[in-house]
Amino acid sequence: MQIERSEVILLIIIALYALGVAVVNPAFLSIETVFDLVRTSSRDIILVMGLLLIMLSGGIDISFMSMALVGSYCATVIMMRYEFSSVAVLITLACCFGLIMGLFNALLVSWLKLPPFIITLGTMNLFHGLMATLAGTRTYGAGILPPSFNEFGSGYLLEIEGEYGVIGLSVSIIPVALVIVLTWFIIYKTMLGRGIVAIGNSEEAALRLGFRPLWLRLFAYGYIGVLAGLAGSLYICQVNAVYPDKMIGEELMVVAGAVIGGTSISGGKGKIFGAILGIVIIYLLKSTLIFLGLSASWNNLFVGIILVLSLSFTAYQEKMRNQRHLLFKVESR
Amino acid sequence: MKKVVKTMLAAGIALSVAVVGTTATYAADEQDITVVMIVKQSDPWFDDMTTGIERLKEDLGINAYVQTPVSGDPSQQIAIMENLISQKVDAICVVPNDPKALIPTIKKAREAGIKVVTHEAPDIADSVDLDVEAFRSEDFGKLYGDYLGEAMEGKGQYAGFVGGLTMTTHMAWYNAAVQEIAEKYPDMENISSEPYEDKNSLDTAYSRTVEILKAYPKIKGFFDCSVHGSAIAQALKDKKRTDVKVVSLAMPSTSANYLKDGSIYKGLAWRPADAGYATAYAAYLLVKGDQVENGTDLKAEGYHDIKLENGIAYGFAPLVFTAENVGDYKF
Repeated sequence: MQIERSEVILLIIIALYALGVAVVNPAFLSIETVFDLVRTSSRDIILVMGLLLIMLSGGIDISFMSMALVGSYCATVIMMRYEFSSVAVLITLACCFGLIMGLFNALLVSWLKLPPFIITLGTMNLFHGLMATLAGTRTYGAGILPPSFNEFGSGYLLEIEGEYGVIGLSVSIIPVALVIVLTWFIIYKTMLGRGIVAIGNSEEAALRLGFRPLWLRLFAYGYIGVLAGLAGSLYICQVNAVYPDKMIGEELMVVAGAVIGGTSISGGKGKIFGAILGIVIIYLLKSTLIFLGLSASWNNLFVGIILVLSLSFTAYQEKMRNQRHLLFKVESR
Repeated sequence: MKKVVKTMLAAGIALSVAVVGTTATYAADEQDITVVMIVKQSDPWFDDMTTGIERLKEDLGINAYVQTPVSGDPSQQIAIMENLISQKVDAICVVPNDPKALIPTIKKAREAGIKVVTHEAPDIADSVDLDVEAFRSEDFGKLYGDYLGEAMEGKGQYAGFVGGLTMTTHMAWYNAAVQEIAEKYPDMENISSEPYEDKNSLDTAYSRTVEILKAYPKIKGFFDCSVHGSAIAQALKDKKRTDVKVVSLAMPSTSANYLKDGSIYKGLAWRPADAGYATAYAAYLLVKGDQVENGTDLKAEGYHDIKLENGIAYGFAPLVFTAENVGDYKF
């Protein structure tokens, strides 16, 4: 597998930043930091894999957090009513709901031919509204949910006895790894993946080659729906509570992660490793303020500055590369 | 004008009833009094508040009931209020989602002769007939400090969380707690000059806790002014840090497990049923033309001797959850 230049630069940024934090507080450089990052970023890494596929197809989906919430919430409501307690049932149900919502998105995008941003902005509210009307807005707390949720969400694959308490590797790394491998397989090893990249680069050309955009979109939007169901299930198991209003509002951070990772908003370009690094950078920034001794009021300012900086850097690189390839755009002044 | 006639009629009937001296049934004017409570939304908290209003209805024999918006959207509370104004109810109690957004409608209701009593809205106390609060923020905040100090045996590092730095009640609790600890437990050390934000989200509370545990491994206690302290307890459980104590705002529905297994030392709250009862009772007194002043008894646990200050009636009704008593509550 070939590592892109932009990915190398992201790695260098991460390494330099980690070193900087470690200089201030050496406790940061530990395996525990990595293990904690695996757990906290697991939901968004799963989601960004789906988003990558959508963005490769030249589309965008901002309803995935809504699908994650609605899928996992409705699955929980059904489980509570029929007294199921297995996490497998939760994930299956949530993924099914996600799939239905994803396919609905795909059909709207294909038929209405409006910008997918607007369509999924609408469906984001539509799905949430349907959930609130049909499934209710009750909160299910730790005492009411089946204990299996917590056992899965807080389960360890590997446990090390530390100086203070235990250091554990969350089992969430298993679904995350499976999703990454599956996404890699779809993009690089199947005709489906090639078709999705093709419509992202030029729908016209892809059509002439015999690809069918409707089916490709159904797949891509259905895929992120299924992943949203999985990510939502993982999230509610990790926090051990089901709220009717969480997750929604955090979608743009995942989109930012994908873009920082070099995924093109106009479609056809994007790398799995880059997207993962993008999410890792965001989580790294969010989880080091305490190490740096910065107070809470710095949080947003800090994350904002680093996001803008990394985005400008990505854009600058893109411009340099285009210059090398003698691609120029006419710019108005 | 109609209202006056109605009131006079009602008074007349009441008088005649009183003269006749009926004791077995409620006085006729009691049945004519309609007090409506508008809650924020349907959830275990406000379901419990509803039981308080039902108790009030039985105790007084007035017509008291609850109206529940479908969602937390302030416009729905406004719509319900408009409807009640046209029905000419006697009093409206409301727990506003967005207090300031309700001011014009509250004004309209009061112009129509309806008494308006709020709960959890001290900021708009000058626009209503009365605001009823479960306690003074400082008094409640001190409890965090007292219990955390007790749990940590007065020594060690600790950290405090609020939902957000802009949430005034949380900040008032936080400041009172920190001050209380500084005065009573000089050997306890706050690791940060500012509270940490859990952004009212369990996963933020969880990841902040995990980070604090790494950066300050010697920490011995946390308190959280938002109800998301259960995620702090979860993080401590996952890391097997049973030596670290937690005091948090708590609701039985989300925190009961953590209280029972000891990962939350004490949970703090107030009883929604009692708050609802006291608020509606105050409204009832105002409708009857009685004054609500210092020392008035609002007939609910913790509201027997209220303190009136700038249009706000403070009770002292904190509810402290422990492993033993948390099972008795349902909200």
